[in-house]
Amino acid sequence: MKFVPILIEAGISGFESPAAEYKELGLSLDQLLISNPDATFFGLAQGESMIEAGIFDGDLLLVDRSEDAKDGDVIVANYNGCFTCKYIDKKYARLLSASPKYQPVKISPEDEFQLEGVVTCSFRLHRKLKELLACMH
Amino acid sequence: MYALVDAVSYYASAEKVFDPSIRNKPVVVLTNNDGCICAVDPIARKLGIPKFIPYFQIKDFLAKHNVVVRSSNYELYADLSERMMNVIGRFCDNQYVYSIDESFLHFKNFNSLIKDWHQYGHLIRKAVWRETRLPVGVGFGATLTLAKAANHAAKKLAGYNGVAVINDDRSRKEILEKMSLTDVWGIGSKLGKRLNILGIKTAWELANQSPKAIRSQFSVVVERTVNELNGIACLNWDEVRQDKKEIFSTRSFGQRVVDYNALKAAITSHGCIVARKVRKQRSLIKRLLVFASSSPHDDNYYKKSFIYEFPVATDNTLKIAAGISFVFDEIFLNGVNFYRCGVGAIELENCQFQQQDMFNNSVNNPELMQCYDHINKRYGNGVIEVTAAGQREKWEMRRNFLSPGYTSRWRDIPKITC
Repeated sequence: MKFVPILIEAGISGFESPAAEYKELGLSLDQLLISNPDATFFGLAQGESMIEAGIFDGDLLLVDRSEDAKDGDVIVANYNGCFTCKYIDKKYARLLSASPKYQPVKISPEDEFQLEGVVTCSFRLHRKLKELLACMH
Repeated sequence: MYALVDAVSYYASAEKVFDPSIRNKPVVVLTNNDGCICAVDPIARKLGIPKFIPYFQIKDFLAKHNVVVRSSNYELYADLSERMMNVIGRFCDNQYVYSIDESFLHFKNFNSLIKDWHQYGHLIRKAVWRETRLPVGVGFGATLTLAKAANHAAKKLAGYNGVAVINDDRSRKEILEKMSLTDVWGIGSKLGKRLNILGIKTAWELANQSPKAIRSQFSVVVERTVNELNGIACLNWDEVRQDKKEIFSTRSFGQRVVDYNALKAAITSHGCIVARKVRKQRSLIKRLLVFASSSPHDDNYYKKSFIYEFPVATDNTLKIAAGISFVFDEIFLNGVNFYRCGVGAIELENCQFQQQDMFNNSVNNPELMQCYDHINKRYGNGVIEVTAAGQREKWEMRRNFLSPGYTSRWRDIPKITC
């Protein structure tokens, strides 16, 4: 999430590019998508229960812990020791899959359950990224 | 009003943030090279696992009780620390980050805004837990020492539940009476024993001593502590940040080192670290301790140390490397399996008040060192290095139980089941 551009300049000196002082400008995905960087983390989606919500196996998820989860939000929870991405049904204390193939999960008092954060966006990589291929296993 | 906010067994708690499978399990974290236990989470503490015990001594016990063991994951701790400090910093306009997991806050003119400090402390705790999943303790007091004492109460004394406030004589007495001397900030075990002899056993008894008498028997530093315990502020950020009087860099090896050049490289590299730290606090080294040893658990324990005295105190990495080179042959012995080595600047001088020597022109080269530090700061430590410190691989840290770099490496980001 943090990227510090450092240009390593070779020893060929001349006039500095007149654009150099504007290099801070440009578009940053972090700035657009992450409103609270301290509370935000990336995760990798694994499984097919949320395909109907547009989240496919291997997608990148952005999770914000500072967002309030509203009924029907896509959230990440610690469900019995495992990070799980589902719709939250606060009224009936259930975790719902987007796909009809998966049954709703009722959260019972014996379950370990902690709401970890709200999925504020997800990314599909139409071309595989080398950095992420390594973690898909 | 001051507050001290710090994490509950930080390294162990940090391991739980991105690994929900161990949230309810006992967790311990090991020091460099997996040598000793340096953090014990509250669940593991209930099993009676002490801190600083060598790992190999307690290995079987840990396995028997299914305790999760982790190597120190400094990348993860640094990232989480930054997040935690940022969240804490939102609660006060004057924050001082004291260490990787401790932060002081100074509330000036907040009294009309905050009616209930207790409640405010819980707000901080809740926000840090919610946004970073780290548990913290919060202590409030009129001085730094009292804030530290309240923080101790918040985390260690029964009935405080993570937040404690010392804001009147009743709460001050209640907490200080339950604290032993060595739990007071600035009272070490030696000083504690000397005070014990005088019949002073608790923090409350220390607070009731005459500051003047304490000063004449001990020092102005202990006098200040007595005053601070009585709500008279004597310390501020700059004083607690006092320059270090000794600077050490030392570490045990991942694998035993027997090679002459490898050991020399390791020691020189420690020398470079010490030199960098010395320059940072604007000191100069007069005397340098250089040492290496085998493991005390090995047969024929070997340990040798030498002190090198610089004719003119220096902060120059090249001079320090040369000094190490000078004594190294006295330390190295063929056939020894070296386990540990290090360098310590044991006598420091202030850069500004250097005693000049008529016969020695200053050998320091501040411009060169400034440039050296700039390059390493900008492009990463070790980008330029003295060649004697060049060989690195053989003595890198052993971290057999390292958790993934959840927030620093793409291939390590947490997996989320859909």
